[in-house]
Amino acid sequence: MRDKFTTKNLNFWYGEKHALKGISLSMKEKEVTALIGPSGCGKTTFLRCLNRMHDLYPGNRYEGEILLDGKNILEKGLDLIKHRSRVGMVFQKPTPFPMSMYDNIAFGLKLMGVKSKSEITSRVEKALKDSALWEEIKDRLHEPALSLSGGQQQRLCIARAVAVEPDVILMDEPCSALDPVATAKIEDLITDLKQNYTVVIVTHNMQQAARVSQYTGFFMLGEVIEFDTTEKIFTAPSNKLTEDYITGRFG
Amino acid sequence: MTREAYHKALKDLEGELQQMAVMVGTAVRESMDALKGRDLEASRRIVHDDIHVNRKRFEIEEKCVRIIATQQPMAVDLRILAAVINIITDLERIGDHAEGTAKISLSIGDAPLVKPLVDMPKMAEQAVSMLERCMKAFIDRDIESARNICNEDDIVDAYYDKIYGELVLLMIENPKLIKDATYLIWAAHNIERIADRVTNIAERVVYMVTGKMEEMNVSKY
Amino acid sequence: MGLHYQRRKLANYIALGVSVGSAVFGIVFLFWILKDVFTFGFAAINLDFFTQVPAPPGEAGGGMANAILGTLTITVLATAFGVPAGILAGTYLSEYGRKSKTAFVVRFVSDILVSAPSIVIGVFVYAIMVKPFGGFSALAGAVALAIIMLPVVVRTAEEMLKLVPDATREAALALGAPHWKVTVSVVYRGALRGIVTGIMLAVARVSGETAPLLFTSFNNSFWNFNLTEPTATLTVTIFNYAMGPYEDWHQMAWGAALLITAMVLLVTIISRIIVRGRAG
Repeated sequence: MRDKFTTKNLNFWYGEKHALKGISLSMKEKEVTALIGPSGCGKTTFLRCLNRMHDLYPGNRYEGEILLDGKNILEKGLDLIKHRSRVGMVFQKPTPFPMSMYDNIAFGLKLMGVKSKSEITSRVEKALKDSALWEEIKDRLHEPALSLSGGQQQRLCIARAVAVEPDVILMDEPCSALDPVATAKIEDLITDLKQNYTVVIVTHNMQQAARVSQYTGFFMLGEVIEFDTTEKIFTAPSNKLTEDYITGRFG
Repeated sequence: MTREAYHKALKDLEGELQQMAVMVGTAVRESMDALKGRDLEASRRIVHDDIHVNRKRFEIEEKCVRIIATQQPMAVDLRILAAVINIITDLERIGDHAEGTAKISLSIGDAPLVKPLVDMPKMAEQAVSMLERCMKAFIDRDIESARNICNEDDIVDAYYDKIYGELVLLMIENPKLIKDATYLIWAAHNIERIADRVTNIAERVVYMVTGKMEEMNVSKY
Repeated sequence: MGLHYQRRKLANYIALGVSVGSAVFGIVFLFWILKDVFTFGFAAINLDFFTQVPAPPGEAGGGMANAILGTLTITVLATAFGVPAGILAGTYLSEYGRKSKTAFVVRFVSDILVSAPSIVIGVFVYAIMVKPFGGFSALAGAVALAIIMLPVVVRTAEEMLKLVPDATREAALALGAPHWKVTVSVVYRGALRGIVTGIMLAVARVSGETAPLLFTSFNNSFWNFNLTEPTATLTVTIFNYAMGPYEDWHQMAWGAALLITAMVLLVTIISRIIVRGRAG
């Protein structure tokens, strides 16, 4: 399996705070990579490096390399807008835009320059089908997205990310605001998405990491303590810290 | 340290496993003593007491399942539980072998033994000693010792060969003894099986510590 | 124990009594004012009131048509000046400036401007517009009201825009949207209702202003369709007529007061309905 995203000795600072220390990881193409670790360990910070979300706020600084398909995305002159359209993101709380469900998904397509109305309609439908939401909302696509339940909103956000056909989908604790049934649906969806996309997911829920991912990275205090197949991490991790964390002996 | 109740439950489980091991180890020793000393009363009691071993096994298994269901154990904890669930099956079978030996004693009944038992008690002692050291290796997470115990299976096998040879010879010499001598071969076979079970337990100890499944000493029987 | 409990209960009753009393005290005056305005005002309202210009002093009849038109013109113009500038400044504060020094200064200044007495603003516009261009005008009145509106709109726009969660902005940016597109297509939409409400309240507030208009648009007893000429407004007319010596002037002032009160009430109620719509 090919490496999609690779970081080499990645360091990151929030102003003075050294938040990531020499992270070297590889995320395999069309696999789900889970990032786990105690709060404040840097896993979300790492995730947000991958689409350079930190650039939105002043005083943040990267060092090292982040390679997407072998090309360093930290190089000067990177077209951030283009990069972000290749790397979709799903947030902790659902982030529907204040517009209709249809327009939510069409938003990204229009940004990409898709003009034909019939193409937009067919791609909206496809994205919703891929996100297992089509059957639930096909009759009310033009109602406000905010009228959906939390779980549906989150799937709509996933559909919105999927619609623009990115290479990678980043998910930052996508189920932390959802009930168990909605969570189960999203988890099934993640497993389906793996057919076509590389997924990187940050989660506090270790069972979730175990269920959905093929690779798992354990972060602590801004460092990667252990990175291995999920199977290995959850049955027989090599590092004592990983073992202690996932068995609940600290954290 | 977090999840105190959970980790205490795991520790308690290990304690109960040790108890069960002591129960079956004692049963093996006593069944051999009863066979050797022709103590039919003791044999009857051992047959009867096997029910306690079986109950203990279900009790421990239930606790394992409950911990899995409620605590979602991971990594080493998960391996401990997987090991315990397997080990209790082996211990329960060891208990059955002790019960089997006691039943043989009852089948022989009032008849005298075809020959005085010399090697068989030693063989049983060897098997029980392996069991005891194996359980200690479990507590100490001592894979070195667990691996060595597996090699000792050969000693038990050698005893078995010797006893088997002697008894077959006896049967050829005196066909009248075939029935009672066969009983003793069964008894020896029981003990040989016990040692095999101990080997299985040792494999579980190694898995629990390293996360690797290894087949260690394949018994020749 | 029993005594302690009794005391707590007593303290509770006292606090409840005082706060209910205070609320009633305020509401009583509000209704008193409304009652007087309605009873005295209705007597003056008739068709002429909406269609005729004021009758010469001492003569009966006449109306307020020119002042109604003046108030509408000046308020609409003030809104046209003040609202776009206010929203853009609010956008700067919420979407671009955030914690920058410039944003801090802008916020500080608009907070001062909110509490500046409106008569000061009237005098200021008199100094920069009326005096140099040689006369009172509707335009000058509109500018004065726009300045009064500005800080209100700036701060409401900023607050309403800030209510849109950052995650929503990030989600749009993460799709590859440029910053301006995120602001226009996503953030404005999310804040639309709140901003509209803020504008309505600002309009309601300035439409009742009198003092700044005395120095800017002044007054006019006749129709005036020229924005650079003195223009009558309801509030200034109320001021003049109420001070006047004639009984029927007082009558007309009550009518004008009723009309302006009804307009402000209407705008406020509409904005309330918009806010409720948002909650639902």
